[in-house]
Amino acid sequence: MHSRKLLMSPVLTALILYLAIYPLPARSSTSQENNSTQNQNKAAETGKPASSGQAKEPASDIKSAPTDEGQLATVNNAKIPSYSKVYVAPIPGGFENYIIAGLRNKKVPLTVVIDRSKADYEISGVSDSEKAGWAKMLFIGSQNSNEQASIKISDLKTGAVIFGYSVHKTNSVRGKQSAGEACAKHIKQIVLE
Amino acid sequence: MSYKGKVLSVLLLLFVAAVSTALAGEKNAPPSQKIPKGAKVFVAPIAGGYDNYLKDAIAKKKVPVEIVANRDQADYEITGTAESQKASTAKKVILGNWHSREEASIALSNIKSSEVVWAYSVHEEASTHGKKSSAEACAKHLKEAIENQ
Repeated sequence: MHSRKLLMSPVLTALILYLAIYPLPARSSTSQENNSTQNQNKAAETGKPASSGQAKEPASDIKSAPTDEGQLATVNNAKIPSYSKVYVAPIPGGFENYIIAGLRNKKVPLTVVIDRSKADYEISGVSDSEKAGWAKMLFIGSQNSNEQASIKISDLKTGAVIFGYSVHKTNSVRGKQSAGEACAKHIKQIVLE
Repeated sequence: MSYKGKVLSVLLLLFVAAVSTALAGEKNAPPSQKIPKGAKVFVAPIAGGYDNYLKDAIAKKKVPVEIVANRDQADYEITGTAESQKASTAKKVILGNWHSREEASIALSNIKSSEVVWAYSVHEEASTHGKKSSAEACAKHLKEAIENQ
């Protein structure tokens, strides 16, 4: 009996430590995704738009669809003509460069310009990177970072937001590069080839 | 309306349609992605002095471009971002890894047309030679892009 307790105590300690160090954003994002999915399911069942405390808000044209690692939203199935001129606005941390490289790597048929006045569309967004801490290295043995980013594409002529996408990668092997390529991959879906 | 008038109006309509189609085609035409050998390239300052590593790497890898110090003299411009993270004590003790983590992303744009003609990003989780390695990776791929077009 005493030996059993002795065996259980390190296991319990490890479990508590794991729960303490497991990245909170990852847990919260998972729960958020689940919540949104539940809301969508409820909406589908009732035939009413999913509400999150804003019942009187007018129905939005944005259609969202969960993807493998993020959330994708398009307005009225909007499409971008191929080789349209796109300006990527500066994003803190230089993430715009990773998006540009991702667009090229994923062979997205768009022309990226560095002058906003020459562009038809604008990509803007935010990104965040969380480096692996000592606890993650010790208990999970992973030195990969957690990456999250959210981008939107707006039509510069009309000012309308036509596309939105957010990505969250836990243990991103290639860091920002992976997140940038995920964004590019999903932009490609709305480009007419 | 007389017969000549009708013919003229139809011809005018056809001309307008042809011109508008041509303009639309021109607008969405794929950009010329070719980077000529010997092109004059200006490397814009990058945080952490990464532009210097990039210039050295371009010279070392014998990339067929000419680096200029003044943007006004250049045909193309390299802009980008770079981030370096030295190995933490935990990384050294737990993973036994002394190497730094390098991330960089660069884009080569045509100054006249403002179009980005080439872009590349690199991520090295344990870079043996730090920024030098990632800069040389960028230069190597730029050279391939110029030579394989």
